[in-house]
Amino acid sequence: MIKRALSVVVAVVWLGGATGPDTIIRPTKFDYTMTTLANGLQVVFLEDRSTPIVHLALWYHVGSKDERPGRTGFAHLFEHMMFKGSRNVRPDQHPSWITSVGGQANAFTDEDATVYWETVPAQYLPLVLWLEADRMASLEVTEQKFLTEREVVKEERRMRFENQPFGRLSEIIFDKAFKVHPYKHQTIGSLADLEAASIADVREFHATYYVPNNATIVLVGDFETRQARELVERYLGKVPAGKPVPREIPKEPPQKGEERHTVTEPWPLPAVIVSYHITYDGHPDAYPLHILAKILSDGESSRIYRALVYEKQLAVAAFGEAKLIEHPNLFYAVAIVAPGRRSEEVQRELQAQLDRVKTDGVTAEELSRAKRQFARDYILGRDTVQQKALHLGHAVVIHNDIKTADGEFDLFQNVTMADVQRVARTYFTAESRMLLTVQPRAGEVAPRPTGGGR
Amino acid sequence: MRPGSVGRRLVACLALAFAASAVTVAQVQWPVSGPPAPLPARPVSFPPYQLKTLANGLRVLVVLHHEQPSVSFRLLVQAGAMQEPSARPGVASLVATLLSQGTTTKSAGEIAHLIESAGGIIGTGSLNELSYVNGAVIKDQIDLVLGVASDIVQRPAFAPDEIERQRNQAYSALKVSYDDPDYVADLVFDRLVYGFHPYGRPNQGTPESIARVTRDDLVTYHRTWFVPNNALLAIVGDLTADEAFRAAERAFGSWPRREVPPVKTIDPPAPARRVVVIDRPGSAQTEIRVGHLAVPRTHPDFVPFDLTMRVLGGEGANRLFGVLRTDRGLTYGASAELHTFKASGNVVAETDTRSAATGEVLRLLVNEFFRLQREPVGPGELRGAQDYVAGSFPLTIESPSAIAQKVLAHLFYGLDLEEIERYRDRVERTTPADIQRVARQFLRPEQLSIVLVGDAAAFVDQLKALGFSDFERIPLGELDLNTPSLRRGGTAPAPPVEDPPPA
Repeated sequence: MIKRALSVVVAVVWLGGATGPDTIIRPTKFDYTMTTLANGLQVVFLEDRSTPIVHLALWYHVGSKDERPGRTGFAHLFEHMMFKGSRNVRPDQHPSWITSVGGQANAFTDEDATVYWETVPAQYLPLVLWLEADRMASLEVTEQKFLTEREVVKEERRMRFENQPFGRLSEIIFDKAFKVHPYKHQTIGSLADLEAASIADVREFHATYYVPNNATIVLVGDFETRQARELVERYLGKVPAGKPVPREIPKEPPQKGEERHTVTEPWPLPAVIVSYHITYDGHPDAYPLHILAKILSDGESSRIYRALVYEKQLAVAAFGEAKLIEHPNLFYAVAIVAPGRRSEEVQRELQAQLDRVKTDGVTAEELSRAKRQFARDYILGRDTVQQKALHLGHAVVIHNDIKTADGEFDLFQNVTMADVQRVARTYFTAESRMLLTVQPRAGEVAPRPTGGGR
Repeated sequence: MRPGSVGRRLVACLALAFAASAVTVAQVQWPVSGPPAPLPARPVSFPPYQLKTLANGLRVLVVLHHEQPSVSFRLLVQAGAMQEPSARPGVASLVATLLSQGTTTKSAGEIAHLIESAGGIIGTGSLNELSYVNGAVIKDQIDLVLGVASDIVQRPAFAPDEIERQRNQAYSALKVSYDDPDYVADLVFDRLVYGFHPYGRPNQGTPESIARVTRDDLVTYHRTWFVPNNALLAIVGDLTADEAFRAAERAFGSWPRREVPPVKTIDPPAPARRVVVIDRPGSAQTEIRVGHLAVPRTHPDFVPFDLTMRVLGGEGANRLFGVLRTDRGLTYGASAELHTFKASGNVVAETDTRSAATGEVLRLLVNEFFRLQREPVGPGELRGAQDYVAGSFPLTIESPSAIAQKVLAHLFYGLDLEEIERYRDRVERTTPADIQRVARQFLRPEQLSIVLVGDAAAFVDQLKALGFSDFERIPLGELDLNTPSLRRGGTAPAPPVEDPPPA
C-alpha cells in the first residue's frame, strides 16, 4: 500500500513538472513607486494611463481587532463618522462632491484595517487629496449626527446579520472558535456595544488611530508620478504626525482539545462547520493553505463540492476557506445540510474531506489546477484601478512589504504537493478542531409557500 | 459600510448650522480652505470595438485589452422567462443551470475539470428575457474554453439524473430563498406589478412548477431558442481582433441557424393600488417595495424618466437616502430605480427598516412619489444627477468588460449604437420642466403597488393610522403567487396565457 502510494507520488511529481508552473503565463508586474512623508504617511504611486481616471485608497491600520471590550463594532461605526464633516467639509458633503464630478466614493472596515476610497476623473486628483487631508486632520462631528448615524449602523447590522437566513453564520463560527483574541467578534459589533458608544469615543479613536503615521495612501491611475507626489505633499504633508499607535491585542492561547458546539437559529436548513486554527497571512504556510483551500473548494471539480453536493447530495452548498489575515485565524468549511439528511452524517463527511489530505495528500493534477485557478484569480483581480490599489495597499499595510504585491505570484506557483500535505498535517489536528452544528429552532422552520405555475 | 450618496442641499445647509456646536476632534489648528481647482482634463471618448456577424447569424463583438494576459467572453441568448411555457416557470432557469451539467459528449465532471484545469471559469444563468454563458481564462486557453462554451450551448444532454439533481437543488434553494425577506419582497412586488405576464413570474420557479417540469420541456425550450441568430457573443481581452473573430468562428461557426418563433404574451395589468403585508414573525426589519408599471427601455422618454428616478433614489441626488438615512437614521440603504426590459418596465423604490419604524418609512417614501409630481425638482438636485451620470462616463469605460456590456446592451435592446456617445448630451439637455412633465405623465402615486415583508404584528396598527388600512395580511407560509388573492387555497384561476408555439 505504501509502495503504491509512493509510486503514484513519484509519477505525479513528474507530471506536475511538465504541466505545472512553467507553463503558466505571468501577469504583468506593477511598476509602482513608494515614498514616506516626514509625518510618517506612506504613499504608493502606480501610473495607469489607459483610462483618464484616478483611484485613491487611504488605508488606516485599524480594524475591529483593535477594539476594546465593550466597544465592538466601533471601528466600523467610526468609519461612518468620517463622512459627517470636518473643518472645511460639511456633513455628507464629501460624497456629494465626489458624485458631482462623476466619481464614486465609499469605505470599508474589516478586522485589520479601514479603507476609504474615491475613483474620479483624473483631473480631480487634487480634490480627493484635499478631502482626505481635511478629515484626517480635523474631523468635526456633532452629537446629533453621531446619534443619527449610530442608528444607521444598527440598521446595517439588522439587515446584514439578523434578518437573512444564515446571516449570523460567521458571527457564530468566530465567537465559538476564539476565546480572547478580538477576532472573536464581527466587525459589525453587537447592538449593545453600538448603543454604548459615545461622541467621546469618536474623539479618542480619531486622535489615536487616524494619524498619518498609521496611514497609507495608494494612488493608481492617469497621473504623472512627479506631479502626484507634489500634490500629496501639498495636501497631506501638512497633517501633523500623531503618537505611536498602540497595539495591545490579546493573543489567542492554543486550543487544548477538540471543541463541539450545537446552537439553534431560526434558519431554513441546518448548517455544519468544521474548523481548525491556522496561521497568519504572510507566513510561509499561508501559501500552501490557500492552495489547499482551492483544491478542496474552488469550482465544481473541487473535492468538497464534488463529494458533498454532487455525488452524495448531502449538502445544498458547501465550501471551505483559509481565512488568512493579519493575525492567526481559521481554516473553516461549511455545509448547508440538504433536506432529509442528518447533520452528523454531513459533518462527518466534511471533516473526512479535510482530514483525508493528511493521509493521502493531493494529486499533481489537483495542484496544477489550483495553481492555474490561482493565476486566473490573480490576473482577473488586477483589472481595475481599484483592484490594483487594493493589492498594493494590502501588501504595504498587512504584509508590511510592498514587494509581496508581485512576489506572491511566485510563492504560490512554487508550492509543492508535499507542502500542501505538510500544512494539512500541521494544522488539521484534533486539538485545534471545532465541530459546530447550527440547527433550525424546532417549530420555527419557515413553511414553504406555494404557487406560481398552473 | 456603504455611506452612499448624499442628500439635499437644504439638508447640508441645515447641517452647517449645527457645525457651530460641533465637537472638535482635531488636535491642531487646521486652516480654513476651499476645494482646489481641477487639473486640465483629458478628452475622453468611447473606446474602439469591432462587430461582425458570422454566416450563421451570430453577432460577435470584440473589445481588445492588452494589459493582463486574460480573455473573457459573454454569450447572450435572447430567451428567458419570457420564452418559457407559462405553466412551467423555472424552465429557463433549469436549462441555464443544466447547460454545464453534461453534453452529449462530456459529463458534468469532465466539463468542470476541463475548464478549471485550464484556469478558466464558466457561469450560466437566465433572467426575464435572456440567458447567458460567460467566462474568463488565461489567454493561452481561450480555444479550449470557447470550445466548451460552444458545446454546452449547442449540445446539453439534459440527462435524467442531472435533471433530478438540479431539481433537488432548486427545491432547496427555494426553501432558503423563501426565508429571505429580500427575495420574497421582490417576488411579490414583481407579481403585483406584472400580474401573470412573464415578468411577474418567479424566474426560479416554485416547488410545484419545478416538480412538473419534464425533460421534454427543457429540450423543446432549448431547441427553439438556443440558436446563433438569436444570440450575441462578446470576446474581450489580450488578443487581436482577427484572432478573436477566428476563435469565435472556430468555436461557433458550425452552430446551425434556425428561425425563432414570435413570442405572444398577455399585457401586464394597468397600475392599481394594492398594499400587501407578508407576515414573517420575528423579523428584525421590514423589507419595503413601492412602485408600479412603467415603460420599456426603448421608450423615447427613457433618459428624462431615468433621471427622475435618480433624483428620487440614485447617485448624485437621492432624496430617499437623504430623507430616510441621512436625516433620520431609519435605514442603511434606500434607493429608487427605473427597471426596463424589452416589453415593459417598472419603477421601484426599496428600503428596509426596523419593524417599529415601518409606518413612518412607508409614509415618507410614498410622500416622495407625490412630491415629484407636486413640485418641480430643484435645479441643484437635477444638476447633481446629471453631473453624476455625465461625469462618470470615464469611470464606466474603464474595463473592457464594462465596454462590452454597454455595447451588448444596446444590441440586445435594438438601440442605435450612436446612442452610446449621444447619451451624455441627452442627459445634459434635460431640464427641470422635462422632469416634471415625465413625473406627471408616468408616475402613479395613487396606484402604487406596496409590499411589506416583516413582523406584521409590530406595524399593522401604524398602517391603519396612516391611511393604509386597505392592506392584505398574508402569512409567509400561505403565500401563493398563482392565485389572484396571493393566498394558498385561492380558487380563482389565473387568466389564460398563450404559450409560445412549439418549435
